[in-house]
Amino acid sequence: MISTVPNLVALLAGTASKDAAAFGHLYDATSAKLYGIVLRILRRRDLADEVLQEVYVKVWERAADFDPARSSPITWMATIARNRALDEIRKRVPVSIEDAPEALNVASSDPPPLQALELSQDVKRLNACLDRLEPQRKQLVIEAYLQGASREELSQRFGHPVATIKTWLHRSLAQLKACLSP
Amino acid sequence: MTDTDNMDDLAAEYVLGTLDANERANVAFRRQRDPGLAAAIEAWEARLAPLNGQIAPVAPSPLLKDKIVERIRQAESASVVPSNVIDLQHRVARWRSAALGASALAACLAGFIVVRETLKPVAPKSYVAVLQKDAQSPAFLMTVDIAARSFTVRPVAAEPNAGKSYELWLVNTKLGGPKSLGIVGDKPFSTNPKLATFTPGDIEDATYAVSVEPEGGSPTGLPTGPVVYAGKLVQTKP
Repeated sequence: MISTVPNLVALLAGTASKDAAAFGHLYDATSAKLYGIVLRILRRRDLADEVLQEVYVKVWERAADFDPARSSPITWMATIARNRALDEIRKRVPVSIEDAPEALNVASSDPPPLQALELSQDVKRLNACLDRLEPQRKQLVIEAYLQGASREELSQRFGHPVATIKTWLHRSLAQLKACLSP
Repeated sequence: MTDTDNMDDLAAEYVLGTLDANERANVAFRRQRDPGLAAAIEAWEARLAPLNGQIAPVAPSPLLKDKIVERIRQAESASVVPSNVIDLQHRVARWRSAALGASALAACLAGFIVVRETLKPVAPKSYVAVLQKDAQSPAFLMTVDIAARSFTVRPVAAEPNAGKSYELWLVNTKLGGPKSLGIVGDKPFSTNPKLATFTPGDIEDATYAVSVEPEGGSPTGLPTGPVVYAGKLVQTKP
């Protein structure tokens, strides 16, 4: 896998020019990653299946908007997937985690060993900055991002009022921004 | 707290994912018109993206790829006259017959819908959007019956705007530019048959925005004034 990482930029460029084969390779190379992301947020395979289809239709339609100078292909695609999954989950009545505990088993909070070897500078930097937050606030930020938790859900999980959660989020994010700025 | 701080908090929470449906819709709409906000969002996407590395890949069902290819093929081959136009013609015929008994309203197409709305039983799948500037100031309440592809908008606390009209827009990137759904706020209930020209999926995913236009509506067919309220549909009944 590592030696044959497909050139996603080229595949996206091919997709932008409506090359179905390039799109097929792009799907093969990225769908498990994006599916992991949307399933983690939506917690239900039926919803994740639907969202993943919409995400790739969007990738096909909007591939020409991708600008390699501004983001990496996987970040660009993951952003589309996250936004679509978050829009979907916010439209719905909140699902309790207890309803689908097995869905959380698909992802541990530790990176898998193979990926750990590939940790880029960006990941190391963000992890270092997250480690400088108070442990509970670090957990707050990570759960919000990975699981798509709303302020209300975080309020229940962490046992603090929504207003407190909001303040903590804003402070933690401001701290992260300061820590990450060059 | 300055506006810049506020904007950055909003961008950060948008990317983090903690905003509610309406706040998300507001941000998604505003970023199209506010380069500062758009840049703040992109910066936060880049900052937090490394967290995606913590998510283990999960292989989707092998059937999905074919479904996606099929969807794309259908979208590409969709002609200018899709099947729902025929559906729409049936609807128009139905509104006409419904309106025959309501002579006072018969001249006005909007009236046709009002008649239809009052005759209709409770909607099976019902959605609501609160069109607002922020969480503290809802201005319009929009209810949508997806199956019938009809809507009603009632002003809650929209500030009156002398010599101006509020115009409602359906915004869905799939459809290109914003599509007008007519003037709202000039009467207790507003509706418009144009919603029936969109597919249920496009209606459900769209953002609804209200702009300030010259009296009678935008002269260009696109928003010309500031967007003052926006929101997204939330399902109220399964």
